[in-house]
Amino acid sequence: MKILGIESSCDETAAALLEVKDGRFEVLNNVVWSQTEIHKKYGGVVPEVAARQHVESINLVIEEVLGKVMKPDLIAVTKGPGLITSLSVGVQAAKTLSYSWQIPLIGVNHLEGHLWSFLLNNKSQAPISPALPGQAKKVSNSKSQDKNKFVNWKLSPFALRASEDKEIGNCLPAVVLIVSGGHTELVLVKEVGRYKLIGQTLDDAVGEAFDKVAKMLNLGYPGGPIVAHFAKSGNAEAIKFPRPMLKSDDFDFSFSGLKTAVKYHLQNMTQTGGLSRAYTNDICASFQQAVIEVLVDKTIRAAQKFKAKSIILGGGVSANEQLIKNLDLKTKESELDFYFPEKWLTGDNAAMIALAGYFNAKKSSPLRPRSEASKNTWKTLTADANLRLV
Amino acid sequence: MMRISKNLTETGQIATEVAVNLKGGEVIGLVGELGAGKTTFVQALADSLGIKEKVASPTFVLMKVYSVIGHQSISKLVHVDAYRLRDAEELKNIGLLDYLGQPDTVTVIEWANQVKDILPPDSRMITISPGEGENDRTIDF
Repeated sequence: MKILGIESSCDETAAALLEVKDGRFEVLNNVVWSQTEIHKKYGGVVPEVAARQHVESINLVIEEVLGKVMKPDLIAVTKGPGLITSLSVGVQAAKTLSYSWQIPLIGVNHLEGHLWSFLLNNKSQAPISPALPGQAKKVSNSKSQDKNKFVNWKLSPFALRASEDKEIGNCLPAVVLIVSGGHTELVLVKEVGRYKLIGQTLDDAVGEAFDKVAKMLNLGYPGGPIVAHFAKSGNAEAIKFPRPMLKSDDFDFSFSGLKTAVKYHLQNMTQTGGLSRAYTNDICASFQQAVIEVLVDKTIRAAQKFKAKSIILGGGVSANEQLIKNLDLKTKESELDFYFPEKWLTGDNAAMIALAGYFNAKKSSPLRPRSEASKNTWKTLTADANLRLV
Repeated sequence: MMRISKNLTETGQIATEVAVNLKGGEVIGLVGELGAGKTTFVQALADSLGIKEKVASPTFVLMKVYSVIGHQSISKLVHVDAYRLRDAEELKNIGLLDYLGQPDTVTVIEWANQVKDILPPDSRMITISPGEGENDRTIDF
């Protein structure tokens, strides 16, 4: 079956075509129209601007991924959480297509997409075995794309991953760390569709803390990749920033105080003049280290407490190499498996939405009352800015 | 009224005092720099209203709506963060007017100074400013 995924929860207009065949996933086409350049000058996503951009690009993006495919078998669209004005554009497009094509539609939680995004990796990085040994094959993406047409396209390579419940079961139960501009959540997954929120940020999301620190240092937007870049040449031990809630008994996080600590540190420093590049590097490295230490420590502890087999990473901040390195090290020490999405899957994309839509549509047991892929969904589906995973 | 808060706990206590007198329909504007304790203030206020859910920063989605259960006259708390916004129009676009000033709703807006145009004239402004020590705050409410 072919699934059209649509994603417009924040500032990326995305569509993807996912084929599920013999228990394998194949990303036939994946297009992300990024608005980051447009929002840069505002230091963050401006909802009204984002919504207008989504309206302008959504049809083009969907047309592009469909190619010669007349119509898919299922449409999966992000219904939340996110910016309501942005979400509504994707949801409306999906409803219209479902009605006019008369095909089933399903609303997907954005976080469930991030959670499973690693399953679409091109390269097997972890011991999830192929559904049928020896049959997993890689196929190159032969679709030629007119790259000059849209300068903002981020085209991903073709992905083929073997995966059915049995194989996914090998990594479950798992503790999932979802980190992005809007989220910092620890989720326990016992099986596909059964999630339990075990920890979350009490104030700022991780990505938000990166954004705010980058803004204080006048480094630009988005903060995540910029701070990580400067941190590479800095000394992570240079400044002892606090490790908020590191020792608390729960699995919650707090990054607001850390951000404030950076602010006061800067106030004491800059009175004598501007910051040197070397010192900026040190601040970035020390701040990043403080964030990562808390994230990694709590994630590992959660995995131990809930006797998880593996740790899964997802969301925009999972592009942070230092975070991956630290988690990789600590999971090895604790004999846990570690799965994380390839870089092209870390940001918002619709391939992961199509995948999560497949998981939700496929199952319709009483255990999963949310599974409602139907031709009539278009009548009732609405975007929900504060949609919860569990 | 001016009060000095020595730490986050005291900031929370002041928020609780504010919460006790709320009846619904109020719009509260919070003003203060990054790290002043605005979110802490809202968290304590939400707690006093009986909200069990965790109240985190709504910077990303701009607005979060919480259900208040068991209060005589308040059924919703709306938490808005205008940190990233340039003007009040943005808040209209995300549907704030559906809630603003509704008799059963309390609306708290962080960085209210950035969206003055949307605030009703009878909005209550609360300013948190730095005090002498790093953790000291002067709260004008």
